[in-house]
Amino acid sequence: MKADTLNGQLDPLILATVADQSAHGYAILQRLKERSSGAFDLAEGTIYPALHRLERDGLLSSAWSTDSGRRRRVYSLTRAGTAALEVRRREWKRFALAVEAVMG
Amino acid sequence: MSWLDDLSRELRAHGVSARDRGRIVHELRDHIACEPGCEDRLGDPHALAITFADELATAEARNSAFVTFGALAVAAVVLIVSQITLARFAHYPGYSNGISIALFFPAVLGMLVAPQVALVAGTLAAWRALRRRRAVSLPAGEIRLINSRTRVALGAGLATMVGVELYVVDFSQRLPAWWLGLVGGLAVVAGLGLFAAFRTHLRARTIVSSTAGQAGDIYDDLPVLGWGWLRARPWFLGALASVAMGLALGAFEAHAEHSVFEGVQRGMFEGLVAAAGFVLLGRAIGARPAPAHLPPSAYSPDQLVADSDRAGAELELREGYADGRLTLDELDARLSAVNQARTVEQLRAALAHIADS
Repeated sequence: MKADTLNGQLDPLILATVADQSAHGYAILQRLKERSSGAFDLAEGTIYPALHRLERDGLLSSAWSTDSGRRRRVYSLTRAGTAALEVRRREWKRFALAVEAVMG
Repeated sequence: MSWLDDLSRELRAHGVSARDRGRIVHELRDHIACEPGCEDRLGDPHALAITFADELATAEARNSAFVTFGALAVAAVVLIVSQITLARFAHYPGYSNGISIALFFPAVLGMLVAPQVALVAGTLAAWRALRRRRAVSLPAGEIRLINSRTRVALGAGLATMVGVELYVVDFSQRLPAWWLGLVGGLAVVAGLGLFAAFRTHLRARTIVSSTAGQAGDIYDDLPVLGWGWLRARPWFLGALASVAMGLALGAFEAHAEHSVFEGVQRGMFEGLVAAAGFVLLGRAIGARPAPAHLPPSAYSPDQLVADSDRAGAELELREGYADGRLTLDELDARLSAVNQARTVEQLRAALAHIADS
């Protein structure tokens, strides 16, 4: 699946990925790949502008942490992010049901 | 040169601050350390830097407009408090009773004219930022317009507070100490707020966006003004606004002072000030047409073009396709020529019969 298929969907996918557990950029990308069984073929760098944008919008928070001697930026879902994710999940389910009803 | 070096250089070229640049590069370095050799999958560093810069430029311009509006609101409260307390408890001392006329006139100009400029420019900047709050990346021209309005508003706000301080100094021997202390102190606080807002503005205006698109103007912000004939005659709008300002404030002054003569004087002054403001600042706040985004004809043919020139040319071509002047094949061919154009001559050739370049 090409990156442009993901237009508008990358942000909620990232929110869903960190909903259970905080993670740094590389780990978020790995989770995206694992959960989609490798279906999302996006330029890996594009995840970082999205992370920064979500943080600016108050949906994610981030902090430096040290892991195995390496400093890395770890992202967590905020309260506003949790609420936004719920809204996007409901919207997606409605959309998917409608598409399925038409496409069969 | 490594992928990270390329990214860092591109971010710097687009004006991303050292702090943001450091964080971005550090995160990408960590990403590469997790899986050495994955640089190819990270994408083109130039494109990634542009994405960061476009989004940051948009967010910072909006933030700067909102912060400035807040700082101007504080300055407005200070001005209102100064005038209410002066009228009720201290009384106007009369213009000739101060230390010097040379202090009085700049003070009054700062307190009468500058707040109006700050109100118009600051409101337009904040309104555009609010209207476009959901856009991830605004066109570069639109970001420039928001920043320009913000800059005008900040300058006028600071001029207002300087005017208040000059007034305090001019009448320091006539007005009560409590009023001088209160108003002088509040003006300093409001001035510091405006300086803080100015710092956010400086941060916003250093980031370069590459997103193509129209800047828009005052007619987009105030749809009630969006009549085609008025948009095509911006000077008529200036004259209309000047007359309206003159009549409104002239009538107010005549009522407040119980004097038609005073009203006429004030009305004429306000009308002239509004007209001068339109001439001097109309373009900066988007009330007059923005400069063309194509290279001016004064450019020499072999002058090198910038990315923003190519973006403007691309927009012209897309508009040409949208209104039926170009076929899809012609559009593709000309877009390709625009992207490869290095000089003004090459760009003009790509735009032949489409734009007056």
